[in-house]
Parts: sequence; C-alpha cells; structure tokens
Amino acid sequence: MSRGSGAGYDRHITIFSPEGRLFQVEYAFKAVKTAGITSIGVRGKDSVCVVTQKKVPDKLLDQSSVTHLFPITKYIGLVATGITADARSLVQQARNQAAEFRFTYGYEMPVDILAKWIADKSQVYTQHAYMRPLGVVAMVMGVDEENGPLLYKCDPAGHFYGHKATSAGMKEQEAVNFLEKKMKENPSFTFDETVQTAISALQSVLQEDFKATEIEVGVVRAENPEFRALTTEEIEEHLTAISERD
Amino acid sequence: MGDSQYSFSLTTFSPSGKLVQIEHALTAVGSGQTSLGIKASNGVVIATEKKLPSILVDEASVQKIQHLTPNIGTVYSGMGPDFRVLVRKSRKQAEQYLRLYKEPIPVTQLVRETATVMQEFTQSGGVRPFGVSLLVAGYDDKGPQLYQVDPSGSYFSWKASAMGKNVSNAKTFLEKRYTEDMELDDAIHTAILTLKEGFEGEISSKNIEIGKIGTDKVFRVLTPAEIDDYLAEVE
Repeated sequence: MSRGSGAGYDRHITIFSPEGRLFQVEYAFKAVKTAGITSIGVRGKDSVCVVTQKKVPDKLLDQSSVTHLFPITKYIGLVATGITADARSLVQQARNQAAEFRFTYGYEMPVDILAKWIADKSQVYTQHAYMRPLGVVAMVMGVDEENGPLLYKCDPAGHFYGHKATSAGMKEQEAVNFLEKKMKENPSFTFDETVQTAISALQSVLQEDFKATEIEVGVVRAENPEFRALTTEEIEEHLTAISERD
Repeated sequence: MGDSQYSFSLTTFSPSGKLVQIEHALTAVGSGQTSLGIKASNGVVIATEKKLPSILVDEASVQKIQHLTPNIGTVYSGMGPDFRVLVRKSRKQAEQYLRLYKEPIPVTQLVRETATVMQEFTQSGGVRPFGVSLLVAGYDDKGPQLYQVDPSGSYFSWKASAMGKNVSNAKTFLEKRYTEDMELDDAIHTAILTLKEGFEGEISSKNIEIGKIGTDKVFRVLTPAEIDDYLAEVE
C-alpha cells in the first residue's frame, strides 16, 4: 500500500485524504444507504414518532425478530438504520450506559445526553486506527421533562443534532426534501398528525402503498412518556386515515 | 490502547520532510465554517458561522461556542465531533488545575495543555491529528487574551484572527479595521461585519454565534435576541 504518496487513502484506516476528508467515514455513510431501508422521524408538540421499513427476507423467519426499533430505557427509543449487527452492538452498549447513568445520578438519562454519548463513541472510531466506524445512523427519541419531545440523529462521523424532523437511509435526501416542505412553517403537530406525517413521508419517497406489517412505528407521548411500538392495528388505523385524507 | 498492530504513527515524515497528515488536517480546517476572534482593550469576542445542514435541524440543539471555564470560552473551525473531544479534555485539565491550586487556570496554561494534546495526536500511534483549529478567548490576571491553536499543536496569541473558509479575506478585513484602543462593543460590531463579508445568504441570529468576555471576567454566549440587537446596530 502506498501510504502517504497520494493513493490508497480510501482503503486505509481513518487518516486524512489530501482534501482533508475521511474516506472510511464516508464509506460508512454509504454502508448505511446500501442497507436499503429508509427511516423517518418527526417531532410534534407533545409527541415524537419514528417510522422505518420492516423487510422480512424470508417467509420462515419469525416476524417479531426482524426489527430496527430498540427500547434503550423505558422512556427512550432508538431506531437504527444500516448494518443491523452494528446496531445491535450499539444498542447493547447504549442500554448499559443508560442504566449506568440511572444508577449513578438517580434520574433517567436525558435523550440529548444519550445522543451525545453515542456520537462521542462514533468520534473515537473516526480518529483511532484500532476500530472501524459503525455502519449505523441512530435516531434517538423521547420526551424530556424540561425540553419536551426530542428527536436526535447520530451518524458515523460523530455528529449529533436535534431535529424537528429527519430521515436516514437509502431515500434520506428525498425524505428530507418532503419533510422540509411540511415543516417550513414550524407546525405544532398533534399526536395523530405527527404519526401520519411520518408515515406519509415514507409513502411519498418509496412511491408505494405498504401494508401495516411492512413498517414499524415507534412513539413517545408526553402524557405517558414511555417508548412503545404501535401495534399492527394502530398502524392500520393511521394508514386508513391517510388514504381517506388524500 | 487498542491493537499493537496499529501502534505506529499515522503521521510520518514524507521524503521531503513534510508531515502530510497535518497539512491535510489543515485542509479540513480550511474548508470548515468561518470563525474569528478579536481582542479588544477591555475584553475579547469570538464569533462563528452556524450553517446547519437542513432547516429540519433544531438550531437550539447546536452550540458551537463552548465554555472551558467560567472565564474562558472557545470556538472551532473544522470537524465538530473532534472539537467535542478537545473541549472535554480541556475542561478536565482546567478542573484538575483548580483542584490542585484552588484558583482558576490561567488562559496561557490551559491553551498550552490543549495544544499538548493536539501535538500528541500528531505523534502517537494509531491516531490521526485533530481536524480542527481552535480560538480560545479568556480574561484573567493578565487581562484579555485570544489564542489560536492548530492541528499541529502550535499556538499563538493574536490581536485578531480568523480561520476556516474565507480566512484570507477575513484576515485582510480584520487588519484594516483593527485598532489597539478598540472597545468590546466595537469589536463585536467588527466581528459581525467581518463574518458578513464572506457570508453566503442572509446573516441572522439563527446562523451565527457570538461569545464575549469583558472586565467582569465572565465568558458568555450571546442569546439570539442580543445578537439581533447587535445586527440592528451594524445595519
């Protein structure tokens, strides 16, 4: 390998290319897109919702084991887009960290602190040679006691931003365009509007009508700030509402 | 830490005697968002662009200017995630100094500690240099101070400096406008005007950040409302 002479930067462990970029990190982003699914998150006035695709590759698979929705604590949900194995490892560590936080400080880990912790971990993989970056974009959601509904997105480069709405995965850009239009006026969505905006954004970018079993919807509401996944029946109701609205 | 297979330096001399990894890190800084700082007679101001990737990002969740101690603040150009690492390490250094000597760390000493970390990442095994340059603004017994620290670990004290995209234009602008007897409010105006020079789009309290410290020796990040007031003044 011709390290330092201009070539070979892209395959090497995280070092700078002559343009000051980190190719390994950019490839990690590509890995997230290559996984082929799209996730969407939307923040309402008293709720936050994420929607992701559920593709079961084989009829014989147990449907319930194919998921991208992970509870981190009772109150915080995480939706992972990208390499599932990396996601499971990240989730395990995040759960551990959140429990540790609860034990040390005597209160639930806030969403933004968890997001920062995940991002700080990702940063290490962009600077140290001994590990590759994670091929995962994680959206973390919850309703904060002080700051209300929160939706954070953490990426392999180590960025973490709070969002009004956002997307990750294959059709990220298309979804962001759709959501930017919807969120321009800073609407304060009710719970139903929040869920339906998220689902219809996914419908719009995938350009297909999916069945309730083909998506997963995770929500946290202010009135009872526990993270939960909507049941197939609940998703069905929202799908019907969307088709009647259009 | 990590596998001994990667215990060699990633930053090594090229045959011509250059450390190319450091030069590439500086390229990363040079393509980052513009930040600048001005030392006034009675304080220091640092300011930066805060361009977000999308309108969907909640601007309140992003804070580019950070406190290191109550009387020292810092801002960066380059890679945001790397900046967080340096802030964490610097705060810890400041805290350790405070615990040992029961007095706040002087600006020069904190800058030296931070620069040492950055230098170590250009020589240690298995790590790349930091993709950020820092501006550190503080006020201590020696008066107002402004430092710039680069990925190589070198640092200098400045009367006014800029980094990131548009450095050369911003620096020329600062050279023209800078005077020794400048007061803090003038410096804030000049900082805004300098940012405005190379700014793409409409400047507003949502897409810039300003931090200042005066004779009260309390570093503070201005609220959007305060920035709006200053913006109205420079109109």
